[in-house]
Amino acid sequence: VEVTPVAAPARSRSSSWTAAHAERLLWRAGFGGTPAERAYWHHRGRGATVSWLVHGGHGPHGARSMVGAKPRVDGKALDPVNVWGHDRLWWLDRMVRSQRPLVEKLTLFWHDHFATAEQETPLMLAQNKLLRAHALGSFPDLLTAITQDPAMQSFLSLVDSSKDDPNENYARELMELFTLGADNGYTEKDVREAARALTGWQGVWKEGEPLRVRYVPEAHDDGVKTILGQRGRWDWRDVLRIVVARPEHATFLVTKLWTFFVGDTPPDKATRRALARTYVRSGHRIAPVVQDILSSPALYRKLDRPAMVKWPVVQIAGTLRQVGRPIDTDAWSWLQEEMGQGLFDPPSVAGWDWGAAWMSTASMRARFIFATYLCSDAPVEVGKHTASVRWNAADHVRHARKATGDPWTSAATDAELGRLARGFLAKGRTPQGDTPDYIARLTQAALRHFLLSGPDAQLC
Amino acid sequence: MAARRSPACRDCRATDAARRSLMDAPISRRRVVQLGFGAAVSVYAAQTLSNRDLLAAASAEAAAAPTAPVLVNVFLPGGVDLLDTLVPADYGRYADLRGAVKVTDPLALAGTDVRANPALGAGLGGGVAGLFDRGRIGFLPGIDYANPDLSHFNSRHYWETGRIDTGPGPGWLGRWIDRHGTGDNPFQAMSLGSTLSPLLRGTSRPAAAVSSPADAQAWVPNVWGEWDDSYRAHWTKVAGHTPSGAGPAAVYAAARQSQQVARALAPYVAQDGKPDPLASPVAWPKPDDAPGGGSDFSEELRVLAALLAQPLGIRTATIEASGQFDTHDDQKNELSSGLKGVSTALAAFQADLEARRIADRVLTLVWTEFGRRPEANASGGTDHGAGGIAWVMGTRAKSGILSTYPDLRTFDGEDNLKVTVDFRTVYASVLEQWMGTGADEVLPDAGKVGRLKVVA
Repeated sequence: VEVTPVAAPARSRSSSWTAAHAERLLWRAGFGGTPAERAYWHHRGRGATVSWLVHGGHGPHGARSMVGAKPRVDGKALDPVNVWGHDRLWWLDRMVRSQRPLVEKLTLFWHDHFATAEQETPLMLAQNKLLRAHALGSFPDLLTAITQDPAMQSFLSLVDSSKDDPNENYARELMELFTLGADNGYTEKDVREAARALTGWQGVWKEGEPLRVRYVPEAHDDGVKTILGQRGRWDWRDVLRIVVARPEHATFLVTKLWTFFVGDTPPDKATRRALARTYVRSGHRIAPVVQDILSSPALYRKLDRPAMVKWPVVQIAGTLRQVGRPIDTDAWSWLQEEMGQGLFDPPSVAGWDWGAAWMSTASMRARFIFATYLCSDAPVEVGKHTASVRWNAADHVRHARKATGDPWTSAATDAELGRLARGFLAKGRTPQGDTPDYIARLTQAALRHFLLSGPDAQLC
Repeated sequence: MAARRSPACRDCRATDAARRSLMDAPISRRRVVQLGFGAAVSVYAAQTLSNRDLLAAASAEAAAAPTAPVLVNVFLPGGVDLLDTLVPADYGRYADLRGAVKVTDPLALAGTDVRANPALGAGLGGGVAGLFDRGRIGFLPGIDYANPDLSHFNSRHYWETGRIDTGPGPGWLGRWIDRHGTGDNPFQAMSLGSTLSPLLRGTSRPAAAVSSPADAQAWVPNVWGEWDDSYRAHWTKVAGHTPSGAGPAAVYAAARQSQQVARALAPYVAQDGKPDPLASPVAWPKPDDAPGGGSDFSEELRVLAALLAQPLGIRTATIEASGQFDTHDDQKNELSSGLKGVSTALAAFQADLEARRIADRVLTLVWTEFGRRPEANASGGTDHGAGGIAWVMGTRAKSGILSTYPDLRTFDGEDNLKVTVDFRTVYASVLEQWMGTGADEVLPDAGKVGRLKVVA
């Protein structure tokens, strides 16, 4: 697929492609960038950046697929299957180190879209691999794969749903959540008829978990069904084909993808129609739609006032990238849950609630604690000789920004950081006998924590 | 393995000796990391925060209305089956519909011809069934709305917003807080756990999500004492901005209120060598004793009972049960395990409120998004249906069976139970009879749905 940016010269350092544009795109299409990566893509231009995100290839780190130190917790490699939380760390590590950030970002999108929980870890890891393999590919292929996925089949009672008594669970969510959207052109009757057509799967079980699933024609209801107005002896592949062919499906999926990348403002009618057309004409492929969205001017609106609340795992992975810290503690496993998003454990089959719903006093407190953990260890921790008594307030802010990967901050935050630094330094030698060296380190510690924990750090 | 919940409050585990040593300066960073961050702040905060800080807006409000009614909203997610929870009087017809799924040894409920799932007998004083026998519970079988939507998410959304409308909108309790809450007390609308319930979302007034006082605290490494105070002051000043846009507004509000919540709850964090300020007068089940994943729910209810007795000005609290009630398969075990956790936790909660002598100002409303198909499916479960179950609980709740039990011999056009009471009837009745406020200011259809006696 050729890269066809919707607007603007591709290689340019003009105002249509600033460092802020690069920063916005790296957060929205992936997990942010280091200052060096932001500078690199700013230099390369919008077209090259979007192309690399969508298609891969040589980037700032050459052709390597994973960059940076491998994860180690308590001196050992991860054990995703057997140790609590290591499955989450394993995926988080991919988000931090992968040179296909858009693939990881869409894998996360699909994990939310085809939300599955309460299944054994090996099944969830297998599903994760499936989602990644199809992340930017053909939606019908992805839907075909996820429909046969043991974790999904077990979660939504498709496994062992037989002709004698079809289980409606999967049929309902297939239409409501996976392809058409709630109340979007189907009826209760369609759900029941689709449930009949979806029968035939049986599990090979071990200790209450399906090891794998197989299709058993004798368990399938091969009678005539009417689904979305089409009559025939439909089976599971027919159901998927029929729902994907509906015009409601294209609109539903492109709107959801748009919201994922652009934010709460829905696409206008013309944009939605254009995206749906791109999707259908490409044979229901994900990449062309995403490429158009990433090139859309709407993604770059209000660069000085980011309005998207970072998903909890995006905040964790992105900040680790930004400060250059590898996965080295299992704290990120339970913190992501306190922040409101435990990977492999979405709250329901509808996935997580996005946007403003990420925020509560408790989830904000968890984000604050996340910064606390970051500031308690290398590389962000303030060591013995990292702050100089000769620094003035502006020097302090500059050094703190450098140590934290130079995150975006609002004018209000910038002003307050300056006041904080001046106030701390003005205290001089305190009655408790705090030395200038101690105060320099305190000042630096407070500024770094502020940059990583403040409200601005939650937005992209 | 990915356990469903993280170990509770991992960051505030600390031994008594270790906590004490925190006060000995200088404290190495390694040492504090070993101890956990909650420990540090709790010791520091309890030493320096005056009662004046604690009381602030919250207690002013609580003091102004010490007997203001409180509504506790308990959500049982997934769609609880009515028939196997409150077993109908017509057992023969029920047994035909349910086959092997049926409850074989239901408990009698005093003065009624329905019986309860034996799991509802679990807990202090005979659990939920015992509470019913003592006149503390009014059951609402057949509750739903006309033309029920069998989607979890649509149906939940209707119950959450109090409107039969799939469009976005604030929660019905959020709207109540908009009318009757204050502009400065997040405790007035509180969700237990880490996310704010959709029931409270959309309010322009402060609201809180809290797991426990210790879990609300946060600590900043290498910034101590008065320096920490100063740091927080700068941080809070930035958080005081009110940017436009839903996302930024939510982030900044949560930032402000999280600091406020931490300060107000700091004195309630347990200190070693001192009595737990939130110690319960009754024996709560240990988290591990509540099967069906009831442990978080039970622990959150325990914290809630204790906080309700403090001058925090809580007016409405929301909590979600840990059980799994979307019983498409293996309903017999899944439902029993879920109801056992609910019964155990609710029985302890009610006993706790009564022992603290605050039960007369707390009404609990328990609900689920829909009922289930009367006829069992082949997986030993039931599919989504209509006509579910809810109940009101409290010393002043109207007790008994408050709505008509659906007929098991005539179903609606989709083989589901016929709905006998609209959930908005119950909401409107609770608002008027319990909260003492108008129903139509919160529920657009309040004029059309009638009323039911829910308060004795």
